[in-house]
Amino acid sequence: MTSVAPDAPTRSQTLDRARDRGLKILAALPYHYPRALVRAHGFHPTEVWAPASARPDTGAAHFQAYTCSIVTRGTAFLIDGGFDRVDAVLVPHGCDALQGMGSVLRDFVTDRPAVHTLYAPRTRRPLDQDYLVAEYQRLAAELVKAGGREPTQQDWIEAFAVEDAADAAMRDLYKRRGELNLTDREFYDAVRAREYLLPEDFAELVAGLPAGTAQRPGLPIVLSGIMAEPPELLDIVNDAGAHVAADDLSTGTRRILPATDDADPWQRLARSYLDGPADPTRADPLPDRVRRLRGLVDHHSARGVLVIAPPFCEPEQFYLPALRKGLDVPLLYIEHEGAGEVDGQLTGRIEAFVETLEVAR
Amino acid sequence: MKTPLPIPQIRSAIAYDLVGRNLLRVQRMRDERAMANYQPPADSPMNPPPRSLVNVKELMSATYLKARYAPGVHKVAWVTSGAPAEVLQALGYVLIYPENHAALCGARKMGAELCQAAEDEGYNKDLCSYVRTDLGSITTGKTPAGKLPPPDLLLCCTNICQTVKYWYEILADHFGVPLVVIDTPFLYEQAHEHQVEYVRRQLEEELVPTAEQVAGRLLTDKALRKSTDEAQAASRLWWEILDRSQHRPAPMTAFDGFLLMGPIVAMRGIPETTEFYRKVLAELDERIAAGVGAIKDERHRVLWDNLPVWYRISKLSKSLASLGVNVVASNYTYAWAELADMFDPDDPMGSAAATYLHPILNRSTAHKLAGMRTMIDDFDLDGVILHSDRSCKPYSLGQIDERDRIVEQAGVPALLLEADHNDSRVWTDEQTAGRIEAFVEMMEAAR
Ligand code: SF4
Ligand code: SF4
Repeated sequence: MTSVAPDAPTRSQTLDRARDRGLKILAALPYHYPRALVRAHGFHPTEVWAPASARPDTGAAHFQAYTCSIVTRGTAFLIDGGFDRVDAVLVPHGCDALQGMGSVLRDFVTDRPAVHTLYAPRTRRPLDQDYLVAEYQRLAAELVKAGGREPTQQDWIEAFAVEDAADAAMRDLYKRRGELNLTDREFYDAVRAREYLLPEDFAELVAGLPAGTAQRPGLPIVLSGIMAEPPELLDIVNDAGAHVAADDLSTGTRRILPATDDADPWQRLARSYLDGPADPTRADPLPDRVRRLRGLVDHHSARGVLVIAPPFCEPEQFYLPALRKGLDVPLLYIEHEGAGEVDGQLTGRIEAFVETLEVAR
Repeated sequence: MKTPLPIPQIRSAIAYDLVGRNLLRVQRMRDERAMANYQPPADSPMNPPPRSLVNVKELMSATYLKARYAPGVHKVAWVTSGAPAEVLQALGYVLIYPENHAALCGARKMGAELCQAAEDEGYNKDLCSYVRTDLGSITTGKTPAGKLPPPDLLLCCTNICQTVKYWYEILADHFGVPLVVIDTPFLYEQAHEHQVEYVRRQLEEELVPTAEQVAGRLLTDKALRKSTDEAQAASRLWWEILDRSQHRPAPMTAFDGFLLMGPIVAMRGIPETTEFYRKVLAELDERIAAGVGAIKDERHRVLWDNLPVWYRISKLSKSLASLGVNVVASNYTYAWAELADMFDPDDPMGSAAATYLHPILNRSTAHKLAGMRTMIDDFDLDGVILHSDRSCKPYSLGQIDERDRIVEQAGVPALLLEADHNDSRVWTDEQTAGRIEAFVEMMEAAR
């Protein structure tokens, strides 16, 4: 259930619905993986992003205190019951921390379903596409083994059809952002429903969102980083006198990949990934990231950039000096585990940041 | 038309060949004399250290000195420690290893200051302290190496971490020079064919043409075969050197190994390095024959996991020795040895692709654990210290499970020691001493 669509299936209802359709469940860690490939092989991906319900002790039994919450909470969630509800796990290699997580789950955690991994290239050269195709095929072979389904051409066609429709719905959601009667919190609630809903259900959810005038108080800002969690952060931004005009979030537009029309499914998936937006988890060149952020700022006349990441997130941290230097607007970097309260100090920093933007107006 | 004077060549010939090398030679001879007469105080737990420590100082200083005067004479490449350097050696590049440079800064106790300088530029204090040290050095110009020459080419191989990709993107942006990336898929299990092929193609289609273009010359088979041959010979010698510590008492400590490893990291592929390690091996054999151990009373033999704590090497070595502990092995120093047999001078590119996919840091936590268990047996170890290095996640994540399994399965005590490889601000002497004492007590009890 989401706050914007009370009738939409919940996470757990979605798992039942997927199983009713003969799909197995794959728990996917953040966040770049080929959804159509997963679906064609008979799996429905349900994503695990630092669940608030995870017990910190379980994570701490495997990872040091200097590990980000995506890894510690994700691990705890899976071990404390998550594994029992899924048929397979996928840990894409998004960074050194996820590398450690994938390896530890595979090597040291027992009583679990198969843990698959995926190593996508850190560069975007022609030869990367050939490698990525082969890497997708390796993953696919593992999924055939785990799920028992070798996709037919029809399976591929159907998988692309539903995933393309959901992707189109996501693009549409962003495009209609200004016309939807949603707060920032509600908007991202809708965006993030894609992380667990069946693609068909997500497209339906977007189609049913209430039109009207967006509730967008104050100054426009760009929101960057990993995820806008806890969701109260968005309320705090709004209360402070700003609204999110555009995002560069891992849970947002970083994963909106361009549609490609290659007839070969493997080439199509690889091309789409390699043509995706500049992204810190892909370790893209500094100028590319600056350019992307500048583009968002200019296009939306944003007054500032707010970057949110869990503590110890190197991929985000590395770019901060270049972004501060390369953007013409102020940037505030804040860290939050993603679960738990937003303390007064953090609230104060956000308020002060928005005040600065007011003054700079 | 008048030919302009080759100023950089003349400067290099005078400053490096004529003056610098000779001064370093004189200094080395002085140090050798001092060391020959050196007897540790009666209450010191250490025996005299290997003489080779003096030679490594000369060799590394000469490398940095040559690099300093390289601009205009040789092309300079800055490369990651796990990068396929043989190609660049064969093209005559002078190589700078920022990680090695950062370690040098750390060992000279400049790490904290330089990390702070990078933090003042906006880099987060949680980032790898090698990165912060080097970025701080670039910002302030401070370095114990005199002066670092700017790169003409950057070569980044991700087989140690993803961190280096960010680091080298920052360098590429700062220096405005070409960056070649050799992306090495992490091996959660055995290497798959498409992964080896991917690395081979990057070597052939990315590294070679760019490096040739920057160098202004073509790579010859003969030169590449020679540098691969040298890299293999040096790596094999290094392996033998490390294995000598299986002897009881061990002729050197792993801390000596951390200092002796400079050339195998930063100077693989040239004859001087091979020659140096031949001498080190001979010296260790002399020590073994004479029954000279690294420490006077070797009661406990221990493995060190992860990077060293560069700013405490000597102090830590002595304080452990005073408790009868010799750290005789380290999987970090082995990283530049254990792949020696994978090099094949008859197939330099193909073998480099496989070799550079397989460093310990590009392999699973299970592989790392298996390696430590083998070392526990081979070196007859009584315990393991796992340095939980807060700013090196690729090496450190997994250590909690590894420690638990070492204790359960190998039956030896294992200590997870929180520190950082280069940022001394996270270190506390008292707390560390307490934890080490407790660890030694556990080893005593297990005897
Ligand atoms: S990208 Fe950042 S937040 Fe995500 S898993 Fe890696 S370190 Fe954690
Ligand atoms: S993160 Fe670790 S492996 Fe990577 S450069 Fe730093 S110390 Fe080396």
